[in-house]
Amino acid sequence: MTMHLEVEQAHPLPLSGAFQCEPGELLALVGPSGAGKTSMLRVLAGLVRPHCGRVQVGDEVWCDTAAGIFVPPQQRHVGLVFQNYALMPHLSALDNVGLPLLHLPTAERQRQARRWLDQVRLSEAQQNRRPAGLSGGEQQRVAVARALAREPRVLLLDEPFSAVDQMNRQGLYRLLADLRRDMAIPIVLVTHDLHEAAMLADRLVVMDAGQVLQQGPPAAIHRAPRNARVADLVGIQNRFQGRWLGPCGQSGWGLLQWSAEATTAAPAGDVPPPPRLRVRDKGRIETGQSVHWVLTGDAVTLVDRPAQAGGEFAAVVTEARPLGDITLLALALQAVPGVVLRLTLSGPQRLRIEVGAALTVCLDLGLAHVMPVRGR
Amino acid sequence: MDWQALVLSLQLAGVTLLVLLPLGLWLGRWLAYTTFAGKAVIEALVVLPLVLPPTVLGYYLLVSMGGASPLGRWAAETLDLRLTFNFTGLVVASVIFNVPFIVQPVQRAFEAIPRQLTEAAAVSGLGWWPTWRRVELPLAWPGILSAMVLTFVHTMGEFGVVLMVGGSIPGETKTIAISIYDRVQAFDLAAADRMAWLLLVLSLGAVTMSFFASARLAARR
Repeated sequence: MTMHLEVEQAHPLPLSGAFQCEPGELLALVGPSGAGKTSMLRVLAGLVRPHCGRVQVGDEVWCDTAAGIFVPPQQRHVGLVFQNYALMPHLSALDNVGLPLLHLPTAERQRQARRWLDQVRLSEAQQNRRPAGLSGGEQQRVAVARALAREPRVLLLDEPFSAVDQMNRQGLYRLLADLRRDMAIPIVLVTHDLHEAAMLADRLVVMDAGQVLQQGPPAAIHRAPRNARVADLVGIQNRFQGRWLGPCGQSGWGLLQWSAEATTAAPAGDVPPPPRLRVRDKGRIETGQSVHWVLTGDAVTLVDRPAQAGGEFAAVVTEARPLGDITLLALALQAVPGVVLRLTLSGPQRLRIEVGAALTVCLDLGLAHVMPVRGR
Repeated sequence: MDWQALVLSLQLAGVTLLVLLPLGLWLGRWLAYTTFAGKAVIEALVVLPLVLPPTVLGYYLLVSMGGASPLGRWAAETLDLRLTFNFTGLVVASVIFNVPFIVQPVQRAFEAIPRQLTEAAAVSGLGWWPTWRRVELPLAWPGILSAMVLTFVHTMGEFGVVLMVGGSIPGETKTIAISIYDRVQAFDLAAADRMAWLLLVLSLGAVTMSFFASARLAARR
């Protein structure tokens, strides 16, 4: 039962985009707060009626504004875990989970509610408590159990991990993995934590200001963000400016002039000419255009030799911040003044590095991704 | 002790509550959930009986419901009903001057229910009746209870409006508050004293009980 969503509206808040989610697939909606992620979930759940849009799950059409179809949330069979769980404060955990099962006789309802709460590993004593008597993690598991008791055709999770500490998070990640294996329904997760999204999701939908900017597997988006905004949103640190010099003779490759600012003016006086890099050319950029380009962490390595031509640069460590098992480094490149290159180091190599050290970085320019700068 | 007046007051308070409760629940809930241009005007109208001198309110009710007024004539001709100087008139007046006492606490009680909870109920498949019975009513109950107590006690003690609209007809419009005034005018302070005490104890008891009940309900969360 594939889920399709399509929305287009300008009022009351702008929201536009389309995505789909296969059964058993976990889709993460990512973006800053106010990007419209939660609004998308509300459209899916039927809590908001879009001005123009369509929602379909399997062969059931839940919303089609063109055909005047709108199925209310009561008839949609959506499991929605609210950001603050939205548990009924006057009902026990058991009765909260029993809410979607009201059509059953009391005994059967209680039996099923217990079964769901057992599945999310809540003890019997906890099951009889009101939400106020449960920890954040326990409350969240009650919310998940209530969503599952609905026998949902899609499961929607709104920032489910934001209010839970790291230890509980690990348990919830496992729970989510189990659910995916057992339920085989589309799961949509809203999060602003990119690390979490990249770890859990099969596909990301990047949103900003109500618009879907790009979607695809996390690795693909990291490797080739559609534009500078997407690169920023998915947390790509090494984003640079430059100018596209056009094809370099060899088919499939082109030349990129690397500069700290997107100027087209020739450098003045004794400043060394900006380096020209040989990168992949997809034939989409006009010669002479200002560009952004990005490099994933995998493309940057440190080497123990003087810089050679073609992707190696002399650098000085300007910042070294040890964080547990890793060290975050910032490097200044002599060839491109003003540019800061960031990378994460682990292993014995990082022990030798301190601020001021001179070293050589090797950039795998085959992994560089170039994007045209759009005029506003 | 004027038992007839006490019974009449209890009857008036009971009937007023019976009529006003459904109206107050509907209006309070509606004001809590909806925003629209001109909502402030409706809210001001709801509060008006609270700020208007009872004699002013009573005067306008007397003028608008009296036998010479269009409303009074219509009621007399079509419903065969008189709206002044009888129990029916008292009920109508009492319902009107108690509107703020029921609508405001009910409105606050429904406003305090997080919107997410009713949304969660909808997503869980609950229609309006199960949502009302299992989510809204239990959560708003402390507010509704105190609204009911306030209305009841306030009706028991209302003086100005009752005197204007009902006069002081024993067994028909002479409530306990009017009876107290009556006794004081007749220098029967002993009787006035007993009735005043009764009213004081009843009012204090009812309000205290409603506060206790609200606190207990709140503590259960």
